[in-house]
Amino acid sequence: MIGQIPKPLQGVARMKEIGALAGVLIVMAAFTIMSDRFLTPGNMVSVFTVTSELGIIAVGVCFLMISGEFDLSVGSVFAISPMLGATIAAAGAPLWVGLLAGLAVAAAIGFVNGQLVLRTGVPSFIITLGGMMFYRGVILAVSGGFPVSYLQPSEFMHYLGGRTAMGLRWSGIWFIVLVIVFQIILARTRYGNHVSAVGGNAGTAKAVGIDVARVKMTNFMLCSMTAALAGFMRFGRFRSVDPTAGRLMELEAIAACVIGGALLTGGYGSIVGAFLGAFLMGVMRSGLILAGPPPYWYQGFIGLVLVISVILNTRIRKAVAGS
Amino acid sequence: MSTETRQNEIVRQQEPRGNIPREARESLAFVDNVTMKFNKVVALRNVSFKVGYNEVVGLLGDNGAGKSTLIKVLNGFHQPTAGQIYLDGRPVNFKSPRDSRDAGIETAYQDLALVDLMTITRNFFLGRELQRRVGPFKFLDMPRMNEIAAKSMAEVGLRNIREMYETVSFLSGGERQAIAIGRATFFGAKLLILDEPTAAISVAETEWVLRLVAEAKQNGLSVIMITHNAYEVFDVADRFVVLQQGENYADLKREETNAKELIEIIAGRK
Ligand SMILES: Nc1ncnc2c1ncn2[C@@H]1O[C@H](COP(=O)(O)OP(=O)(O)O)[C@@H](O)[C@H]1O
Ligand SMILES: [Mg+2]
Repeated sequence: MIGQIPKPLQGVARMKEIGALAGVLIVMAAFTIMSDRFLTPGNMVSVFTVTSELGIIAVGVCFLMISGEFDLSVGSVFAISPMLGATIAAAGAPLWVGLLAGLAVAAAIGFVNGQLVLRTGVPSFIITLGGMMFYRGVILAVSGGFPVSYLQPSEFMHYLGGRTAMGLRWSGIWFIVLVIVFQIILARTRYGNHVSAVGGNAGTAKAVGIDVARVKMTNFMLCSMTAALAGFMRFGRFRSVDPTAGRLMELEAIAACVIGGALLTGGYGSIVGAFLGAFLMGVMRSGLILAGPPPYWYQGFIGLVLVISVILNTRIRKAVAGS
Repeated sequence: MSTETRQNEIVRQQEPRGNIPREARESLAFVDNVTMKFNKVVALRNVSFKVGYNEVVGLLGDNGAGKSTLIKVLNGFHQPTAGQIYLDGRPVNFKSPRDSRDAGIETAYQDLALVDLMTITRNFFLGRELQRRVGPFKFLDMPRMNEIAAKSMAEVGLRNIREMYETVSFLSGGERQAIAIGRATFFGAKLLILDEPTAAISVAETEWVLRLVAEAKQNGLSVIMITHNAYEVFDVADRFVVLQQGENYADLKREETNAKELIEIIAGRK
């Protein structure tokens, strides 16, 4: 019960992001001690750039997860949408047409995911696992395994993944904007309230008249589209898309959400938490490289941090929110 | 869609088809000869049920008798396989519980009452959130919702609430019912449906819930209270309807019976 926590700390404990925030601070402190190249503006900026692409995926995944569903196909969408966009642009169409086409395909994939889940009753974990493999297969087959590049100078590209002030990239700006917008929708709008209700207890949501299927469909499509956006930002950064791009990012995105306090079973979570979770993963990747141990340790450390943070988050949540 | 246009639409769709039964014209709500099938399971077979204006009806029956299904058909959670629902003497065709809520029917479900991980305020207003406009956007009006929910909780005698931002998972069974009852009063419901509100709560809380039911009646509402404990509702209900295996079994005014007899009827011994 909340009563067991000292009064002044209750408000802090109620923050869904508190575990992730603590994790970020502790890990950053540790790496700062281990390497004097870690906490430098240059390194932080590059950490943030890597974080942004994963983080934008995590924003959509988190929003969908709060409404009670998974999407494991985001890593494949991360590649398929910019691949299509780049192919269209390379054929001579304006880049924005490619972007719109990529987003439309992502929306269609989200639509198919949602319809399959809602109509068959098969858990989204399985449906989108199948989707992940299927779409990856399609990309590899169609591309023959070769990357697609777009090397002409382009202002539009610049605003996707190019550099802006202080070495930051535009993707970082878009990431922050998306986090703020989705967090406000989640916490401060009627739609966000319905998202939490649908994931918390779909039966209750239906019983008060919320259109459960519509909320889930919307979120499947939004989630897929944010993954596509993230893919376009990677494209903007490298000016080419690799058909293997985004592999494992679906799992990293889920890890970021869970580290950020989201409940795997839905109904509870925070977009700001997912932001911190993604940032924590970026910090660890960079810190482990700088601190010396072989970078292979990254996977192992992420695994440890994931498990520890979920245990902590579960305890805190039981105390402040029950169940 | 605004509440008003929805309501118009609900009414418009149901131009009286043929004669309206006398019971429908005389009752607040009338369920006429309804059958409800779930695939092969027949949960209700030709059941009729009415609740009058300002009347408290105790809906009784053994587990699986079809009580919950009946009220879910009445409020649009399920659409009946056959039969017709009337409200205020007019045929209605609720497509979802949202339609029945808009028409003044507030239900506290046995199994689906609240979202545990959400706060008291958010549960209180779920599906009917108050909003405030900022430029082209609409945001939840949290301060006003918190204030109203807190006031309403105080009115129904919910004293243990420390903060409105607490989730409802810490509330007792009686406190959960109190939220539903307070919500019905605030939103001006005509009919309050409570599905086994006392199933898992203490004796003291049971009395509290029964008192709230009596108060609701004093305030002019009609109430359907589902239970399988006849003693419990005997003093608050005006009439008792007993279902058995999905069929009408008995319909008695309080003057005509007593709790002991009702128990025999529910058990099918009479
Ligand atoms: N959604 C459903 N799907 C299938 N069968 C159902 C459903 N809801 C209720 N039933 C069945 O209908 C019958 C009546 O159930 P219910 O109305 O819940 O009874 P009561 O509330 O009187 O205990 C039971 O046999 C139950 O298994
Ligand atoms: Mg029941």
